[in-house]
Amino acid sequence: MGHEGVGFKSGSTRSGLPTTRSRVPRGRQIQKTFNNVKITVLCGFVTLLVLRGTIGVGNLTGSTLESEDQRVVEDIDRILREIRTDSEPEPQDPLSSLYFVNSTAHNWTYAEAVEAVNYSLGPKISDWDQQRQVWLSQNPNFPNQLLGKHRILLVTGSPPNPCDNAIGDHYLLKSTKNKIDYCRLHGIEIVYNMAHLDKELAGYWAKLPLIRKLMLSHPEIEWIWWMDSDAFFTDMAFELPLEKYKNHNLIIHGYPDLLFEQHSWIALNTGSFLFRNCQWSLDLLDAWAPMGPKGIVRELAGKILTANLKGRPAFEADDQSALIYLLTSQQDKWMSKVYVENSYYLHGFWAGLVDKYEEMIEQNHPGLGDERWPFVTHFVGCKPCGSYGDYPVERCLNSMERAFNFGDNQVLRLYGFAHKGLVSPKIKRVQDQTSDPLQVKEKLDMAARITM
Amino acid sequence: MLERCIGERRLRQIQRGVRNMKLTFLCLLLTLLVLRGTIGAGKYGTPQQDFIELRQRFISHPHRALAEQNQPEPKPKKSDKDDEPPLRSLNDPYSLGPKISDWDSQRADWIRRHPERPNFLTKTKPRVLLVTGSSPKPCENPVGDHYLLKSIKNKIDYCRVHNIEIFYNMALLDAEMAGFWAKLPLIRALLLAHPEVEFLWWMDSDAMFTDMAFELPWERYAPYNLVMHGWDEMVYKDKNWIGLNTGSFLLRNCQWSLDLLDAWAPMGPKGPVRTEAGKILTKTLKDRPVFEADDQSAMVYLLVTQKEKWANKVYLESAYYLHGYWGILVDRYEEMIENYHPGLGDHRWPLVTHFVGCKPCGKFGDYPVERCLKQMDRAFNFGDNQILQMYGFTHKSLASRRVRRVRNETSNPLEVKDELGLLHPDFKAVQHHAS
Repeated sequence: MGHEGVGFKSGSTRSGLPTTRSRVPRGRQIQKTFNNVKITVLCGFVTLLVLRGTIGVGNLTGSTLESEDQRVVEDIDRILREIRTDSEPEPQDPLSSLYFVNSTAHNWTYAEAVEAVNYSLGPKISDWDQQRQVWLSQNPNFPNQLLGKHRILLVTGSPPNPCDNAIGDHYLLKSTKNKIDYCRLHGIEIVYNMAHLDKELAGYWAKLPLIRKLMLSHPEIEWIWWMDSDAFFTDMAFELPLEKYKNHNLIIHGYPDLLFEQHSWIALNTGSFLFRNCQWSLDLLDAWAPMGPKGIVRELAGKILTANLKGRPAFEADDQSALIYLLTSQQDKWMSKVYVENSYYLHGFWAGLVDKYEEMIEQNHPGLGDERWPFVTHFVGCKPCGSYGDYPVERCLNSMERAFNFGDNQVLRLYGFAHKGLVSPKIKRVQDQTSDPLQVKEKLDMAARITM
Repeated sequence: MLERCIGERRLRQIQRGVRNMKLTFLCLLLTLLVLRGTIGAGKYGTPQQDFIELRQRFISHPHRALAEQNQPEPKPKKSDKDDEPPLRSLNDPYSLGPKISDWDSQRADWIRRHPERPNFLTKTKPRVLLVTGSSPKPCENPVGDHYLLKSIKNKIDYCRVHNIEIFYNMALLDAEMAGFWAKLPLIRALLLAHPEVEFLWWMDSDAMFTDMAFELPWERYAPYNLVMHGWDEMVYKDKNWIGLNTGSFLLRNCQWSLDLLDAWAPMGPKGPVRTEAGKILTKTLKDRPVFEADDQSAMVYLLVTQKEKWANKVYLESAYYLHGYWGILVDRYEEMIENYHPGLGDHRWPLVTHFVGCKPCGKFGDYPVERCLKQMDRAFNFGDNQILQMYGFTHKSLASRRVRRVRNETSNPLEVKDELGLLHPDFKAVQHHAS
């Protein structure tokens, strides 16, 4: 710039004869150079300032709060990684060669694999009913009935590690609170399992050894009720009609036509079912377990199930398909003691229910248990704990929140509160406090309509 | 051409002028840039904002996903502000609810009318309701909810073995009494709604049961209405703010307790009341730091200033760890396993290990995150081992989530007794009466 200016100035004197550089006096030259250097330095300085200002050494000054925050977050990430590496699979055992399908030595068939693995849930027991009767008579302080009702043990659980998706743990917590509430209102005990009791029957099969173990340890329990961790109670007033099941040992939600005529792989749902504590149940568990052992058995069993059950995709054997296959192929042996329940939602598939909650509050009341006021809303396929579910995450989480609040309203009502909306964690008072609270309690009906 | 119109000299002047203007503009632009760079130009961007934008674009933060999913509410944020209650002034007294003066007789009537829900399960064992809770919103710390889940499983296990009911609270009943004071309106609501409950046992969410075999000595508490862990001298003589602990305490369901709650509550309401009360507490109590009033300090203050009224019904228990500060316990678990056995409840085998100051749900506690979480895992496994042994299993180590078998399956399961006798313990036995 200055250079131009200088050039320009000298240019103006060029109007006459051309002036060569050698004619410019020495002093002037030095001054010119000096000016140029000044300007260069100034420009350089300005450039540096600009760069510092825009591109960002904003972090150098950086707020200490943010860097502390960052450090805590890094700590937590590292701890999470350590926790997850603790769950690496066990070192291989000698029989491991049987667990891999790519074993080239032999082309296994399912029957051969089952025989080779020779899995068993435990030593065979044949006289469980008698053992149990004797124990009950010797232990009158641990009866199998309380206040005329058979004792029920609700069993649920989740893996011992933090969820891959942190929000999953939050919904496991809410689901547990939901179960605690229902069971407190109905005098049911809860076992929350976080241990892998049997490494061969891992995953969805883990409930089998657990159920067997609990049955044999608690003879005072008449019914073991397995419930998935992604199932929520949405009818707090509904009581299981146990008298209906006097002559049955397995109560499971499903549709007889889908089961017997279509052999559909979703004819029954093993997310919520009841087993009577008796010999028959032990035998059924023994007959159910063979398709479970991880590895080659489960793979081959999966192929059989996909071939025989309608609509089943190709994947390893799961407990639900295996039970359906068992009950349909050995119908005469088992079905007389199985009650396929669909008069109420012992298991209620969530997608068809969650959008209707407001309508239900408007038109119906708790205690019905069926499509008017579902007993259980089961979030099949959502998998909030893992990374990949079958449905969009937002929809699942939103719906789970709604189902939780729908059930929670029926509990809060006892204390005079309700949620502000089905998606809101905030609550509002719906009944004024009084100096005569027991009069209010006497009149309280769990099955009365809900006002929001 | 232009030369001819204006004249050469004129032209050169104009050219010079133009060049000067160019220079001026350039300089101005640079100045503006520099100023924006150093001082910032508000909504046109500051270097900090630029940096944040750049960071967000290039670094995907796993916790961002959590924060996004944190908002299931479609409602705008404005509604939150409307819900905040106006701050109570110092001369506007707070009340937990309408005054009740005849609770004992109301309750006795109800129990008489409902013999199917007695307040005593056996001659000596009262009906107990364990109350705990946490926020209905996901924890800020992504692993916090996992520890809340483990903590509630731990409580479910103890309560199943000891025939105690649980109430897990996730509702803020009174916005004024938020924070540590939230338990007061909750306790009152539960006492009034459950006349059949004889004792309400409040337990913090960061406290874990580490002795599954220890049954509380109920007969000892027959003459008392409030049982807390603490020491008489530290409370009444020293006026020490940690002379007792309100993280785990028993409150009997009676008129006295309602009156106590009414006397305890006034320091609680958020705002100037709580702040001023905090100053009084710091002044009166030994070693108390400066912060707003908390329920524990307020309880010490209440007992000290109104000793004649309340102290005769308050039992400060120090014979076992109704509350056990984790700092002095967690490193000794292996030693305890070596030398002692469950059922003692005291320093040899603590009933409760309470992770005071850890705050696993938030991001900042008073102790390093790693120590807290690792020790919570150990305490959980220490207690869980006593439950798993009922079924023939144990954790591989106190730090490991994995379990191993310690008792083989048998075809005569009922002849096998678990070592601790927790499968069918005496304290779970139902009173055998003709029905």
